[in-house]
Amino acid sequence: MSIRFAAVALLSLVTACAGTRDTRVAPDAPDSVTGTGLQSQDIRTMATDMAAKIKASGVLAPARDGERASFFIYELRNDSSDTIDKEIILTKLRTNLFEAFGRQIKILDRSPQANDLVDAERRMKERGQVSGTNDRQVAGSDFVLKGTIKSRDRQAGKLKSAYYLVTFELTDLVTGELCWTGDYEMKTESEKSVINR
Amino acid sequence: MRRSWLVFAALLAGACAVGQPAVPLNAFAAGDLAQVEAFAAQQVADGPAENQALVHNVLAQCELLQGRVDEARRNFEVAGRIMGSWSTGGGEATAAILGSESSKTYKGDPYEQAMNAYYLALCFFWKGEPDNARAACKRGMLADAEVGDEKFQADNALLFWMAGRFSIMLGSDDADGYFGEAATAHAFAIQHGARGVPNNDVLANPRRGNLVLVLECGMAPEKYAEGGQGELARFRPRPHPAVAARASIDGRDLGVASLLLDVDYQARTLGGTEMEGIRKGKAVFKTASTVAGVVLLDQASRSKGDAARTQAIAGGALLLAGLLTSTSADVRHWPTLPSTVHVLTADVAPGDHQLTIDFLDARGRPLPQFRQHTLVTVPASGEAWHLARSLPPVAPRAPSVP
Repeated sequence: MSIRFAAVALLSLVTACAGTRDTRVAPDAPDSVTGTGLQSQDIRTMATDMAAKIKASGVLAPARDGERASFFIYELRNDSSDTIDKEIILTKLRTNLFEAFGRQIKILDRSPQANDLVDAERRMKERGQVSGTNDRQVAGSDFVLKGTIKSRDRQAGKLKSAYYLVTFELTDLVTGELCWTGDYEMKTESEKSVINR
Repeated sequence: MRRSWLVFAALLAGACAVGQPAVPLNAFAAGDLAQVEAFAAQQVADGPAENQALVHNVLAQCELLQGRVDEARRNFEVAGRIMGSWSTGGGEATAAILGSESSKTYKGDPYEQAMNAYYLALCFFWKGEPDNARAACKRGMLADAEVGDEKFQADNALLFWMAGRFSIMLGSDDADGYFGEAATAHAFAIQHGARGVPNNDVLANPRRGNLVLVLECGMAPEKYAEGGQGELARFRPRPHPAVAARASIDGRDLGVASLLLDVDYQARTLGGTEMEGIRKGKAVFKTASTVAGVVLLDQASRSKGDAARTQAIAGGALLLAGLLTSTSADVRHWPTLPSTVHVLTADVAPGDHQLTIDFLDARGRPLPQFRQHTLVTVPASGEAWHLARSLPPVAPRAPSVP
């Protein structure tokens, strides 16, 4: 009797208050902790897609004389209804572009920190405080890559859906021509549990 | 053996219920933010997983009020992710319905989700990301749209107004749309019992000012359980002397701030929830099964033989089921929120200025214990926002970031 009681009690407690887990998963695995925003697999897929599409477009291919095209990533503007770490998306995209093109293109770092570092280094070289000379100009850019994140949210009763559209554009900085554009779409649907409504 | 079963049953009934964290509200009201922060940090580390969003919000709020914007933003984001997720496990739902409702993960009521969005918007603005700040406002508006009573689904004027200001910073053409929504939301809220005045200076001139003061007064309402079995979740106000605020800059009076958000009203107009219906049903079952159990046990004590034994077993089972049925409403809530949020905008020359904020009582008299002096820097282009709370100036004050 006491064994049966102990078994039933143990089983009940185990099912009533289940334990926790720590599991390593692939970055492409769907998030089990979901929300309606962009998730890790979206960021990875988006970066891979965009890098491949830009390369396939040929816009950034070296000129006939071998001159490499240069560009910098300007901004990703979030017009959606979800706060997003834009830096994680842009950093991943920049890495994928670098991996896709290698040294065929010049990717410029135009972040304020990089500008400050370049300025400081050039000043020290001018003053002879450090070795080396400023024998080259700071690189100008042929193109700029920028993007927007937009969302359309629908909510009614216990149901909610969110559609996300991430668009990237490559603009020629001499002519202003929009040379390339590509997008990534994602949609989620959620149903609210009875305990939260 | 029977005692063992009873002890086990009681344990099972109470095992998974998660209570309101004992946030030291007296310390908070006394301005001892370090003590409240230490408590919240300890709860984040060692407290129940189900309360993480709640204690992250309290922690973030303490950090924000002490001027540590980046830390605050990270903690508000953690809380916001939990509060914003609609995903719920089947086990969690079953446990909350059959057992104690407070066994579920705290995700806050819509007004609390909207307040998380409001703080997150401020943090992102100070980080220099007005687009994410506006995204947070939009998320807050969506949260506000989740209240049970449809007519109260878009009455948060503060979030609409803030979204409009961030749109101007972004050069978007939708700012006037947000300002229009803000005016409509405010008029509706006033009409339906929110505090404030219909002719709101900030909403009448929504684009005005390069200095924005966001002034929080009082303490948010308390959520408590009412009804015979504690099955009804209700709110009651927490009395506080500060109900309004005014400011002066370099000795020049800027006037009284306009009330843009009545948190008590937002909590009150939450509307009915499906869980309330379930709790009412459980309360009826609890009463009926307890009474039936007692009646059967009484009959068993007067009977003999097999009939007595059957009545005793059935009565005992019913009594146990009644006693184990948890009908209490989940009354966890974010207790350190303000009661009202006021905004004051002013056109000020760029540079450093001495700002004085006075919180006022119901008769409009300044409350000297809450007076705050601070230096604000107004940029040559753009605008500076400053957040202040009606707390005694014990801890370092809230941020003022151009």
